Amino acid sequence: MKRTAVYPFTAIVGQEDMKLSLILNVINPALGGVLIKGEKGTAKSTAVRALAELLPAMEVVQGCKFHCDPRDSNHLCDDCSALLQREEALPVESAKMRVVELPVSATEDRVVGTLDIEHAIKHGEKKFEPGILALANRNILYVDEINLLDDHVVDVLLDAAAMGINTVEREGVSYSHPARFVLVGTMNPEEGDIRPQLLDRFGLSVVVTGEHNPEQRVEVIKRRLAYEQDADAFIAQYQEEQEALAARIIQAGRLLPTVTIDDKLLETVAKLAVELGVDGHRADITVIKTALTVAAFNGRTEVKLEDLKQAAKLVLPHRMRRRPFEEGQLDWDKVESFLAAEA
Amino acid sequence: MQTNSLYPFPAVVGQEQAKKALLIALVNPKAGGLLIGGRKGTAKSVLARSTKELIGSKQFIDLPLNVTEDMLFGSIDIEYAVSKGQKRFAPGILARANENILYIDEVNLLRQELLLAVLDANAAGLNQVERDGISFTHPVHLTVLATMNPEEGVLPQHILDRFGMYVDVEGEAEIEHRVMIMRRALAYGSDVASFRKEYAESTQELATIIAAAIKLLPQIQLSDAMLILAAQMVSQALCAGHRAEIYLLEAAKALAALAGRSYVLPKDVEEAAQYVLPHRMRKPPEPQDQEPEENEQESQEQNEDDSENNDDAAQDDSLDNDNMPPPPLDNNEDDGAADDEQDENEQEQKDEQEPQHNNDRLAPEEQIADIDKSFRLPKMLLDLGKDRNIRRGSGKRSTTRTDLKQGRYVRAELPKAKVEDLAFDATIRAAAPFQKMREDNGCALNIKPEDLRQKVREKRIGNTFLFAVDASGSMGARERMRAVKGAIFYMLQEAYQKRDRVGMIAFRRQKAEVLLPITRSVDLAQKCLAELPTGGKTPLADGLAMALQTLSMMNKHDSELAPILVLVTDGRANAVEENGGDPVASALKMAERIGKAKITSVVIDTESDFIKLGLAKRIAAAMGANYYTLQRLSKDSIIRIVRKLDV
Repeated sequence: MKRTAVYPFTAIVGQEDMKLSLILNVINPALGGVLIKGEKGTAKSTAVRALAELLPAMEVVQGCKFHCDPRDSNHLCDDCSALLQREEALPVESAKMRVVELPVSATEDRVVGTLDIEHAIKHGEKKFEPGILALANRNILYVDEINLLDDHVVDVLLDAAAMGINTVEREGVSYSHPARFVLVGTMNPEEGDIRPQLLDRFGLSVVVTGEHNPEQRVEVIKRRLAYEQDADAFIAQYQEEQEALAARIIQAGRLLPTVTIDDKLLETVAKLAVELGVDGHRADITVIKTALTVAAFNGRTEVKLEDLKQAAKLVLPHRMRRRPFEEGQLDWDKVESFLAAEA
Repeated sequence: MQTNSLYPFPAVVGQEQAKKALLIALVNPKAGGLLIGGRKGTAKSVLARSTKELIGSKQFIDLPLNVTEDMLFGSIDIEYAVSKGQKRFAPGILARANENILYIDEVNLLRQELLLAVLDANAAGLNQVERDGISFTHPVHLTVLATMNPEEGVLPQHILDRFGMYVDVEGEAEIEHRVMIMRRALAYGSDVASFRKEYAESTQELATIIAAAIKLLPQIQLSDAMLILAAQMVSQALCAGHRAEIYLLEAAKALAALAGRSYVLPKDVEEAAQYVLPHRMRKPPEPQDQEPEENEQESQEQNEDDSENNDDAAQDDSLDNDNMPPPPLDNNEDDGAADDEQDENEQEQKDEQEPQHNNDRLAPEEQIADIDKSFRLPKMLLDLGKDRNIRRGSGKRSTTRTDLKQGRYVRAELPKAKVEDLAFDATIRAAAPFQKMREDNGCALNIKPEDLRQKVREKRIGNTFLFAVDASGSMGARERMRAVKGAIFYMLQEAYQKRDRVGMIAFRRQKAEVLLPITRSVDLAQKCLAELPTGGKTPLADGLAMALQTLSMMNKHDSELAPILVLVTDGRANAVEENGGDPVASALKMAERIGKAKITSVVIDTESDFIKLGLAKRIAAAMGANYYTLQRLSKDSIIRIVRKLDV
């Protein structure tokens, strides 16, 4: 199949928070994904699909259905673990990180995996047939209109996202495999709410709105028209920028393990979390991880207050303790003045 | 999978109660297992899973939400049947978890009949399997550990009762602790192996303590005085049945064993009570003569307690045991009771400010009432009967069969017509024992039409509530609209949790208008409600006509959710949009049409004038609706919405 053209990520006008949040998740898949909320036609899906072009290559165990990381012996599937026991090293190949789509209409058995019918009939043996969660391991799992996803599919997503393991006990098969994915969801809030427990699984969230600046709007249209007229030429035009961004992402990924954060900044985050009354500790931890990633993306090895601020803006809004109907909105001025006072 | 990426138990900061209760559960399975409830990000699951390293040779078995019945209870061994032509039992999760730990994450999302079956089998001590031509019984002695976030609903009382212990966890408030949590999370994230090494020793020590306690347990002495103490505590807490005493004493024994003692002390029983009693405490019967207006706080509580799970564990002031932690919240709309008061106060302040700036753009006779957020309605109980229309959709309120190839596959059945949704596993199970007798077709399995089984799928569907609200001038009087808005607000809250869909129609000033088309977004409904002005006459017939139109349109192109009409009015119709007939008569006529359309409906009568005309009651009768007065709602425990069965 010929690959269809994809609108270049770097050609998307504005929407800086959305682009940044996606990039940060590529650099650091441990951030927990991003929920993109916005009205129709705000380039949500375009951005996620465009992200695929920027994804780095990674090392995977050759022939592994779950693309296990040969360097990470703590998260291997059963086959790879067994192989590692027998052999000294795992066979390695290179594969590009992917965007795996989970369609809203997907059934539970397709998501978690199920009995391999063909094998059962031909050989009279039970065998596990991996589902979407297997594909999604170490990749990006993209759910468009995630708020419309069936409840029971959400349940299994919650299960897998929590532990990074997909445990299957259905239709005659009992199996578990690693399912550590970057969850990216898009939704139009007008079409309904997202379940609070699912919302909590997202590390970051951004709200996108249409551009209001007329100049920007004109630019959006211009680029879209140019793209539709001649996609190849348009893509070629952004080739350089795309490559530069992809290189910067790889560079940041390398830098990330060396980034450090001062104890004082940790304290600032803890105080901020208490001040705002967020639930639990996931917010604190995610702000810090995000801040580390922001610093790496900016080519620094030490977290600054501004990184923290950037991180807070992406992490906190959907984590405010929220009762139904109370907006639960983040008072950004409060955060700013708090951080200013801490500086 | 492996345990070499686990977060170590001793590395969890704080959460002392949960930790202690986990140790009790691990030491003594007879303490009835443990349920941990708490908001997101409070280390519930981390803690529960970290016990994997503390249980020696025992296994830690996950019960995932996607489980099918055959895998849980066990079924026929397909491979054996195919190769040998004989039936043999293939053990399920219950068999594997026997004498081991069974862990259920997000337990409140598990299908309740499955959960109940697991807990019952454990209580009975055996699992009896009668399926796929297999008849088998095996012992079941599990230690059930479960965690849940009550945000998406809680477990009913009769299920809560089956857990020996309950602990509510919260986040740490101390800055120092929060920083420590972050530090450890970062360290764990950057290098799991060396992080685990740091805690290896303390983890091992704990495992040794537990193993020693398990060994000591059979020798623990219980004096009569301890039995009496336990009985007293349980009767003070007004727990039903005798399960509580057993759990209490067994937990106390585990505590003694953990302390290395061979006898139980009163302090063991007292400590055990913190885990065993909170979720099964009941409140004493309330005096009947309370005026709700005078005692708003109490009546509020009463309403909550009496709702749905009548016998829930309520805060019991008469209990003079200070050690008692607050009971688990049984009403999800109310989690975090401590914050509620503050939230409400803030809200009230906001409410006071809101109407002022809104009034500018209103016609002179209009006003906007704020929402009385202290208004508590009893839970709406939907008496659904059997929903015989096959419906599709997702939501939490009712379970229904679905004909789409969606929904959770719950079991297989013999097909009644052409098989469209083949249950492959069940089909293979049915065919397997006969393979030796059938001719060879080149495959291991030769499947005949009589083997075919079809999937039975189930879906939780939400309901659709269409609110038709009388916003005429008469409703604006005497705070009435405030109470009405409070009532609707409450119903919206319910709808939010249950993932229902809502719509809103208002009728006032000669016309009815759709304020909000049927939508999943309960937030929007809430905004509409807040901004709804009152004023003018009451075109009730038009309101009803529009409701009927909206619902019948919805039913045509979207049959997924069963609609329920909630009409809020005082019934004093005094305007008709067209042809100017008698307002009341045309309202009644329209009500009859709604009745004929078999729309499930509720009428909430807001008439509170001294002289009652009883018009809303007549409207309700014509609609065949469930009828409530606003006053009665504040006293009654349940709105019983009876769905018509003759749809």
